[in-house]
Amino acid sequence: MAIERDLTRALGPERVLHTRDALLAWECDGFTVLKSRPRAVVLPESTTEVQAVLRLLHAAAVPFVPRGAGTCLSGGPTAGADAVVVDCSRMRRVLHVSTVDRIATVQPGVVNLDLTAAVSDHDLHYAPDPSSQSVCTIGGNLAENSGGPHCFKYGMTTDHVLAATVVCPDGSLAHLGDPAGPRSPHGLDVLGVFCGSEGTFGIATEITVRLCRNPPEVRTLLASFASMSSACRAVGDIVAAGLVPAALEILDQATIRAVEASVYRAGYPENAAAVLLVELDGPHEVVGEEAAEITAFFRKNGALQSEEATTPDERKRLWKGRKGAFGAMGRIDTDLYVLDGVVPRTRLEEALTKITEIGRRHGVTLSNVFHAGDGNLHPNISFDGRDPDATARTIAAGHEILQLCVELGGSITGEHGVGGEKLDHVPLMFDDDDLEVMARVRRAFDPDGRCNPGKVLPQRHACAEVAKWPQMTAEVLGEGAAEGGQ
Amino acid sequence: MNATEAIRERLCAATGPVRIVGSGSRARHLPARADATALDLSDLREIVRLDHGDQTCTVECGVPLATLDAALREHDLELPCLGGGTAEGTVGGLFACDPFGPGNEGGQSPRSLLLGLDAVLADGTVFKAGARVVKSVAGFDVHKLFVGSQGRLFVAARLHLRLKPRPRAEQWFTNDDLDEAAAFRLLHALRQEPLPLPVLQLRRDSDGSHAVMGRAAGRAGYVTGVVQRHGLHSVSAPTSFHLDPPPRGELLTGLAVPSALPELLRAVPAAATFTWLGGGRFQVALPDPGASDRLLAALPNVPASGVLAVATGERHGRGTPIDPGQARLADALKIALDPDGTLV
Repeated sequence: MAIERDLTRALGPERVLHTRDALLAWECDGFTVLKSRPRAVVLPESTTEVQAVLRLLHAAAVPFVPRGAGTCLSGGPTAGADAVVVDCSRMRRVLHVSTVDRIATVQPGVVNLDLTAAVSDHDLHYAPDPSSQSVCTIGGNLAENSGGPHCFKYGMTTDHVLAATVVCPDGSLAHLGDPAGPRSPHGLDVLGVFCGSEGTFGIATEITVRLCRNPPEVRTLLASFASMSSACRAVGDIVAAGLVPAALEILDQATIRAVEASVYRAGYPENAAAVLLVELDGPHEVVGEEAAEITAFFRKNGALQSEEATTPDERKRLWKGRKGAFGAMGRIDTDLYVLDGVVPRTRLEEALTKITEIGRRHGVTLSNVFHAGDGNLHPNISFDGRDPDATARTIAAGHEILQLCVELGGSITGEHGVGGEKLDHVPLMFDDDDLEVMARVRRAFDPDGRCNPGKVLPQRHACAEVAKWPQMTAEVLGEGAAEGGQ
Repeated sequence: MNATEAIRERLCAATGPVRIVGSGSRARHLPARADATALDLSDLREIVRLDHGDQTCTVECGVPLATLDAALREHDLELPCLGGGTAEGTVGGLFACDPFGPGNEGGQSPRSLLLGLDAVLADGTVFKAGARVVKSVAGFDVHKLFVGSQGRLFVAARLHLRLKPRPRAEQWFTNDDLDEAAAFRLLHALRQEPLPLPVLQLRRDSDGSHAVMGRAAGRAGYVTGVVQRHGLHSVSAPTSFHLDPPPRGELLTGLAVPSALPELLRAVPAAATFTWLGGGRFQVALPDPGASDRLLAALPNVPASGVLAVATGERHGRGTPIDPGQARLADALKIALDPDGTLV
């Protein structure tokens, strides 16, 4: 308990938790299949305190896991029993806003949507908008390189992060990037590789992000289709025409029905095989022309019906179903496995057809809600986690779906990260040499391997609790199931 | 033999330090070390894959930018960090020597457009990073380290790039002979446009005159509206965005936020030519090393950062102080990926 005593001395007893009951809330993130109670949780409130904590952990050779709001969907911030969670959720101050330069510097615990609220009076907003944006934090977004519906037009987190103060695993500081541009003029884009490193390189304690001007006009359109193929073809036409809507989202029938039966009811037509949600923003004259073109693509692809939100309330209603889709899945079964594969946009239709076949073959309940504009699929498997057979079929179907994404030229994850969940899927994309190069980069940041160990890169000796999910997948898939490169 | 095998073979055949050469444009401002073997990759010029529907492509590192631009034009696509103009050099060179930033505020930087790559370490290890699709967070983004690395970490053989639709209409413009106040008014008015201009540049010449230049792009009606609203003077597309230093002069490149511009302009010697791009990047063509040193000393107080991008001998790369933590991590990454210091 020596480290707990030292941490308590540094932060005070209220901000160091180490009793069994107190740690319950930190035993998992949004990927609830992977559970492990950490050794302790610390709640620093400043860069100086994070430095103090990491220096103590460094001296005691104790592993640690950075954490934001815990909304990650891949088990990234789930810690082993020997690790201390450094919870940054109390670091929630907006430190600086420059409306002229359109940048803001925030602590990592600032909630994504709170940042937009803080700058909305200046007609600005923070563009990356994960579905969890009302809860998730900017620090977590940076660690995961989070996306969201509007990243089709505005880009992922990496496109909006300009600079960061980082506390390295040994407690030393590094100032990465530059508030004026995404890469310091002195050389390497160190911040570029830090972004999306899933908390394995250090802890960003002050983050400078780019803000976007609010568009003068926003239009939200919804079309329903008799088949998923028609909806995918409409997306293909929109992208091929050079149109760049702010968002292009598809929900399939299973999702529509779950949403319509839930508190997220949005008035989607339940007889449709798919609905396509399109949001346009920009100057009035531009948005008007684009809306007309997109409506024509709806018609060309046999839309059953289409509607346009004409008031902010209607717009909120149309988005309510999309934003609440994952929550609505709770009606289908006790557990939900959210997949996050990516395919080239030209292969969406083929991918969806094959995913349906995979689901049927494994006898799992599949639903799809996805960022069609980016080819980022979220096949969701609803299952009863208490049933070992259902769990095994879920794992097998999930693996096959991600294998399909890679075979089609895509990726095993578009925005949720590898975390502890996809360790067995990583070799579908990367061979041993690829992974060794990544390991070298990781060691440059964390030579001792104490910063969120056992995540992102597959390794044989992950700690027992965190390795539970990989062990489960290995048992289902068999050793060496995931082989070969992209 | 594919590009990675070709590079691997050439690396293994080389002895001592190796310097990567694309079109050779870097040699104009940074001569190679005398003991370095030149690894010429300009023959690796195949556009391996162009998926116009997905708006992505895979190209070998030696593909000339003009060749890529021509191929993309056939599908109404573009690589946005070219700014819509025709740049010289190769694709590999563009990303390796990235002038650290987009040409406009909120625009696409090379970091955003490089989706992944196939590459070779100096020891001959072939590896890949990133993906071919527009969105992937699998593994670490090692490919991002290629941007601005000057080819000193590893050699990129093939690059997977994100493309964008070419705007349906565009108009380049230059409003010159402005005084400083008028130039700032126009610059700030253009920054208020709801669609960011893909290129927006402020220039001050050594005669004290100012100009605002750029590219309005989008739908025809919108572009016409921008030109009319701001009284912009139409010109043809420029061939280069880069300044050249005068004889015996030097070129400094740096970063400054818009609010620092007035102070930055006061720090820049009157005899220098200055340009600032909306993405934060600026360039100063300085008449002599003394002027460069005075400006470098003044920049931290602006605040701005900068380095000498064109200078002779050891002066090349001299700059404002770098954060020691960032420098330590950059050194650690170099040691991790090229422990023998082969790539120079």
